Amino acid sequence: MSAAANVVRLADAGGAAVLLETSRALPLVSISIGLKTGALLDAPGKEGTTRLLSRLMRRTAGGLEAQVIDTRIDSLGGSLGADVAHSTMVFQATVISRSLAAFVDLLVDVLARPGLFEAELERLQRETLAELTDSLDDDRGLARRFFRRRFFGAHPYGRSVSGTPKSVPEITPADARLVFERAFVRDNLVFAFSGDLDGALASRIAQRLSDALPGGVAPVDDTPEPSPVPGRRLVLVDKPDRTQTQILIGCLGSHTRDEDHVALLVANTIFGGTFTARMTQEVRSKRGWSYGAYSNVPFDRRRQSFSMWTFPKADDAGPCLRLELGMLHDLREQGVTKQELSWAKRYLVRSHCFAIDTAAKRVGLALDQALYELPQDYYSRYLERIQAVTLDEANSSVRNRLSEDDLLITVVGTESVVGGAVRAAVDGLASTEVVPFDRVD
Amino acid sequence: MSSSASKLRLRREQTLLELNQGATPEGQVTHLETVAFGPSLAVERFRFGNGLELLFCEDHSAPVIAYHTWFRVGSRHEREGKTGLAHLFEHLMFNEVEGRKAGEFDRKLEEAGAESNASTWLDFTQYNVSIPKDQLPLVVKLESERMSRLVLRDPQVKSEKEVVANERRYRVDDDLEGAVSELLWATAFQSHAYRWPTIGWMKDIEAFTTEDCLEFYKTYYSPNNAVLVIVGDVAEGALLKRLSQAYGALPASTLPLEDVRPEPPQSDERRVEVMKPTSTEKLVVGYHSPAMGDFDHPALSLLAEVLFSGRASRLHQKLVRELELATEVRAFVGPFRDPGLFELFVSAREGQTAEQLLAVIDAEFAKVQDEPIAAEEIARAAARLELGLLAGLETVDGKASTLGFYETVLGRPGAAFERLETTRRITASDLLRVARRYLLPRYRNVIFVRPDPNASKDEGAESDHDDDAEAAE
Repeated sequence: MSAAANVVRLADAGGAAVLLETSRALPLVSISIGLKTGALLDAPGKEGTTRLLSRLMRRTAGGLEAQVIDTRIDSLGGSLGADVAHSTMVFQATVISRSLAAFVDLLVDVLARPGLFEAELERLQRETLAELTDSLDDDRGLARRFFRRRFFGAHPYGRSVSGTPKSVPEITPADARLVFERAFVRDNLVFAFSGDLDGALASRIAQRLSDALPGGVAPVDDTPEPSPVPGRRLVLVDKPDRTQTQILIGCLGSHTRDEDHVALLVANTIFGGTFTARMTQEVRSKRGWSYGAYSNVPFDRRRQSFSMWTFPKADDAGPCLRLELGMLHDLREQGVTKQELSWAKRYLVRSHCFAIDTAAKRVGLALDQALYELPQDYYSRYLERIQAVTLDEANSSVRNRLSEDDLLITVVGTESVVGGAVRAAVDGLASTEVVPFDRVD
Repeated sequence: MSSSASKLRLRREQTLLELNQGATPEGQVTHLETVAFGPSLAVERFRFGNGLELLFCEDHSAPVIAYHTWFRVGSRHEREGKTGLAHLFEHLMFNEVEGRKAGEFDRKLEEAGAESNASTWLDFTQYNVSIPKDQLPLVVKLESERMSRLVLRDPQVKSEKEVVANERRYRVDDDLEGAVSELLWATAFQSHAYRWPTIGWMKDIEAFTTEDCLEFYKTYYSPNNAVLVIVGDVAEGALLKRLSQAYGALPASTLPLEDVRPEPPQSDERRVEVMKPTSTEKLVVGYHSPAMGDFDHPALSLLAEVLFSGRASRLHQKLVRELELATEVRAFVGPFRDPGLFELFVSAREGQTAEQLLAVIDAEFAKVQDEPIAAEEIARAAARLELGLLAGLETVDGKASTLGFYETVLGRPGAAFERLETTRRITASDLLRVARRYLLPRYRNVIFVRPDPNASKDEGAESDHDDDAEAAE
């Protein structure tokens, strides 16, 4: 079974692509409404606008009060949320199939007839600010945020999707409406259906949603490619009373249109992509230093970061960081072995069935392909490409794409306890920044 | 009985006849019952002569199989000074097996494309593997081997203790919610084994010996203390033959009598105040609640849904939206074999106090004790529970998890749908009854979390909160 085997592309609905896979296994219907734009539409200094807008649309659909809308969604046996990323936004809706018709009425109101009331926006701003304060309790989240902020710097990928305590109060109703008018045009949308409905019904729903939206030109994503972080830079995020640390190490990673993209995915699988990969073996199994030890090669429309993640106790932070840097060096210098490559290819090919074992997952991959403008055969030839990766290609991808000279290292921990050991663990450290966990410049 | 059902029964009888011919008493397989699992699926229950039970649900929706092994041992079976042993042991089950070196289990499974994991909770320990359908022989072999031929050596136990200690730092010591939840249960329970955390106290984790682990393995990891839950794209006859060969020779053991110490009724409210490096106050409350199998459990769960679940719930509307005192509210009625807790977690906004939150909760609880909840509100909460159940059944792993959980806790694998039917029959009177019976201050334990002034927030500082993707609403 391939990713797209059962997903059909129906006739476009007024310029919006329509994807469907019918499954009668459960009396559920899932509807994803994807936009090819995300938080990058936020104006400078107004970070968080798109995310606030997505929440505002749900809360003011059809000019109704938020409580009325929430009550209606629950009564129908439905759920509705939005995921906002830098390059995309997806409204995810699921409903028990007996309530589908009434739920679609509500979706039309969310998408095309939101009230966008000023009072509700102000309430949302207050809520968001409180949530930002709460998020300081999450050490892993802190590590990810500081890493992204420092890694991408002034590049748009370094900007906050959620907004900051400074930017959120600056967002006006006009800002939200401007993003709404730019983003919610038919050409910018992809509808993806799965579950207990057929093609005719899916087409009718898509047409109805599309008819409710204006035409117009979808915004162009002119984001530049990010540049590498120069030198080895350490960011120590100081938080009191930590018994352990959160360590992220990263450099620039992959782009889906790189010729060696799949080769790097395979190499990463060997290095830190599974429970028996090198990182888990060395950090967790042999030394017991961290409960988890993984590396990651995510994608976006532009090149993303490669990162390694561990969370050793404070006493082990220095040795663990040194070990990881050594492992990255060895990966680049010595590469992976033929046996490791064969193993990783078997793992990736055989386990792929779990990425496509439900209609919703298969449609989800097709939606990603459309939203992120992946190569047309990205998923249909995914397994074939994995099987074709040679040892030389895997090792070349590591040497060419991953740097051990231009690295950002982010450590969340108690600086007075771990600072010295962490600094000493990084040879050739170009700069160190110590920043309180609740402060950034 | 339909003709297809009749044919299926005859074929099963023939399969069992062939299997049982010449098999040892331990290897004899008996079909016990067919259990409905929702509107379209059925679960077959078998028992081997050695006591091993099998729940099998044939599902051809994808070419994959979920293979779960549930052991009826959890942290409730531990004792003071040895807390966390069930969880540590779960980690050790991924180590060396006779004839296979440490790490080979995971390596072979991953090479086969499998996804595997495990979890330990108060009442059970479960191991789950999801595999492509053609890899069934491998997982049967590996799982049956580790049920009886695990090898435990000092270096592995020492290393795994370090891993678990780090897991504890991650989930409890450096995690506000984990730390406070642990404190809540230790405050609420003074007799029952639910008073200690599943991950165990740090001093106990550090003190375990290889002998402790071997003793635990011999005591609890036997076929008559386990249930296999298998869901997926495999024919029943072929599966039974393979399982019979792999598990049929394993001996049963004598399980110890569980030394259960019921928790005496709590007669007075207990309050604890704790300082944490956090920016805002938190309120964590635990009301003693009925066991999962209790007649009142579905009604109390539905009441929790009305009060706390979703943006339309009463407390979300009151605390987050109307009064703007809190950032989020959550609640959870413990799904355990013995009476547990109805846990509430509320995070205050800056400048607001946990006492303010508690006062609002008390007022809302008084309302549901005085006034019947409208039928529409009850139906809405029931619809949310129905959606949650259905959404959890999309994958074979989701189905196996649901079956295994209800089998281990209630002894009825199809109880998820029974509960759904029960929930649909719950009336306003039922909700009044459980509100008046359980939501009483004398039955509750309250943790007030205060920001630690030594972990001061920079005045006027600006925080940055960026992430890859952010869910909204």
